[in-house]
Amino acid sequence: MEPEIILIGVMTAGVTLYALMGGADFGAGVWEFNTALRSGEKERALIYRAIGPVWEANHVWLIFVLVALFSGFPPAFAALSRALWVPLLLALLGIVFRGVGFAFRSYAADSVRSKTLWGAVFALASTAAPFFLGASVGAIASGKLEVSSDGGYSGDHLTGWINPVSIFCAFFGVGICAYLAAAYLTREARNEGDAALTEIWRRRAIVTGLWMGLLSAAGLAIIATSAPALWEGFKERAWPAVLTSLGAGSFSIIALWRRRFTGAALGAAVTVGAVVVGWGLAQYPALIPPEITLHGARAPREVLWTFLGVIAAGSLLVVPSLVLLLVLFKGKRPEDA
Amino acid sequence: MALTLGFHIVFACFGVGLPVLLLVAEGRYLRTRDEGWRIIARRWSKCFGVLFAVGAVSGTVLSFELGLLWPDFMGTFGSVIGLPFTMEAFAFFLEAIFVGIYIYTWDRLPPQAHWLSAIPIAIAGIASAAFVVTANAWMNCPQGFLLVGGKVVYAEPLRAMLNPASGPQVVHMIFAAGLVAGFGVASVYAVGILRGKDSPHRRRALALGLAMGAICAPLQAISGDWAARIVARTQPVKFAAMEGQFRTQARAPLRLGGLPDSEAETTRFALEIPGGLSWLAFGDPDAIVNGLDRVPRGDRPPVAVVHLAFQAMVGAGVALLALSAWVGGTLVFRKRLPRGRVFLWWVALAGPLAAMALEAGWVVTEVGRQPWIVQGILRTRNAVTDAPGVGWVFAAALAIYSALTAATIVALRHLARK
Repeated sequence: MEPEIILIGVMTAGVTLYALMGGADFGAGVWEFNTALRSGEKERALIYRAIGPVWEANHVWLIFVLVALFSGFPPAFAALSRALWVPLLLALLGIVFRGVGFAFRSYAADSVRSKTLWGAVFALASTAAPFFLGASVGAIASGKLEVSSDGGYSGDHLTGWINPVSIFCAFFGVGICAYLAAAYLTREARNEGDAALTEIWRRRAIVTGLWMGLLSAAGLAIIATSAPALWEGFKERAWPAVLTSLGAGSFSIIALWRRRFTGAALGAAVTVGAVVVGWGLAQYPALIPPEITLHGARAPREVLWTFLGVIAAGSLLVVPSLVLLLVLFKGKRPEDA
Repeated sequence: MALTLGFHIVFACFGVGLPVLLLVAEGRYLRTRDEGWRIIARRWSKCFGVLFAVGAVSGTVLSFELGLLWPDFMGTFGSVIGLPFTMEAFAFFLEAIFVGIYIYTWDRLPPQAHWLSAIPIAIAGIASAAFVVTANAWMNCPQGFLLVGGKVVYAEPLRAMLNPASGPQVVHMIFAAGLVAGFGVASVYAVGILRGKDSPHRRRALALGLAMGAICAPLQAISGDWAARIVARTQPVKFAAMEGQFRTQARAPLRLGGLPDSEAETTRFALEIPGGLSWLAFGDPDAIVNGLDRVPRGDRPPVAVVHLAFQAMVGAGVALLALSAWVGGTLVFRKRLPRGRVFLWWVALAGPLAAMALEAGWVVTEVGRQPWIVQGILRTRNAVTDAPGVGWVFAAALAIYSALTAATIVALRHLARK
């Protein structure tokens, strides 16, 4: 098998896991942003307890994908940096202040005033980050970025990334995060044995899930009308992913309805994962359509094999550690049993 | 970029050094069952949480900035230097995972298991520093690739990683981290004691930080000497700039202090030790040392900046070394730590001095390589982005980092008061 195919497979897995894990952490902040005036201290405490131990590890998926991109497909990285510097910079601001807001609030803030301040920073930044990351993904997927195969960019430096698909993906990104967070937090609230809180999150998860279903349909319509190449890809290769997403999404909402919260969380994860994989499949073999492809942008093959070797060796260390982390903090705790 | 790195490097040092201190403090608790050590470790772990989070986000900024500011550089050489970054990503992964476990399981895991969970943090912290520094070393000593028409057609990332500058730079960086973290911690407590808040607890915490700094100081001097020899051989221009050596000459003098004048091509007001530089660099007082005159003026770095930064680093290093000798001597002959306000003042200054030496050392290696970003291969001005937004990126970075620095100080002061 060609190394670039394996590498892009690994990277897609990385993006998916970032969406599923990092996305939920952003989503928790989105909820805090949207419910700032109404939510009680208990509700906030659940959010902070849930993401505290894991958000830094979840965040590393993004770094991993970035590093893999510039190591394995250097011209693509150069082109993206040129074409998307505005949304990437804004997303970066969001990422930075999300992390800082969270860390200061949980480790260092005692007074109500500083807690409120850092909490607000956390909430606002958590919403901005997926918004602009979503916009960047949308801009790539739309096939409208005027990049050339050597990594150059000839479009508008300020506004070249704005088009219907990217704007849609920005909102869709925030929605995905909110949906995941609500689905996961329902389960966490149940695990903590708080019935009232479970009910709040259950209702939110169901409502968000239904809205996201509608939004997805609208999204496909936007893609069909304004990104014909991507639409072809969906029709040709990515339709199984769309069906999977639809099925898993329905399953997760039914599971929420019937109070099967672990099933609902898993269903939500599969729903979102299928969307990411579907995007990848739909634009394959383009990396940044239309000009930059996997084969054209790859680093020399022997280099890719070395990277893959390092990734395999690194995974041997990281995967068991990650499992340990999740078991410790997301498994059923002994005191709940 | 320079600004981000200059900021990140300090936080990264604590990321490398603090876990080692945590391990020792909690290990003392396990051995002696003295709650005091546990309290110290627990308090430090909160500070570490803040510093790690800030270090992690500023590291993220860096990985984005690589592309935002240097698209040509990354587009051309990404495949050559990607390997250490990939390894670093995994080390960072491990670190982030175990930081989560360590900070949030003080009351959940048995003490031994909790202590064990800090070991991967310490190892991964040191490893990730080592990996990243090899990428910088490669910019100083590029190798392991074949460039045809401006495109990399063949690359051996492992050979690129294991370039001659990697060894000394990695070792020098890791001891620097030990110095900054060790003396940094010690100086916080020294300031506290000087303000009259003396307690056995503070003395103990000060001693632990001081121990790490004092052990690293002489090792750092040795690694610095090694690094300088390698620079003299692989980057003669940088070496000449560091030493303010304009003329190529045998029996080159070692200059202490002095102000290089690039127009007149001399270094004034320096205390010169004849043959000293030749001897330090090549082990022979009569060896020929290449001067800046070996390259055209356009290919020279800003000599004054490099020379002064180098002098500042060495000067700070000597001050730290003297402190280390004082501590060591008193320990050996009197079996106790030095006492008195002079000692405390010295310790209080040691933290800032170590951080200053760190920044100065970084200026030496980066500014000393100018006008090249990849020594002899790619010029900085050809690598920097052509996008009109650089000013914005820079302004945003400046705003972010001013806010971060202020907030970190507030947060840490707050933690210290508790």
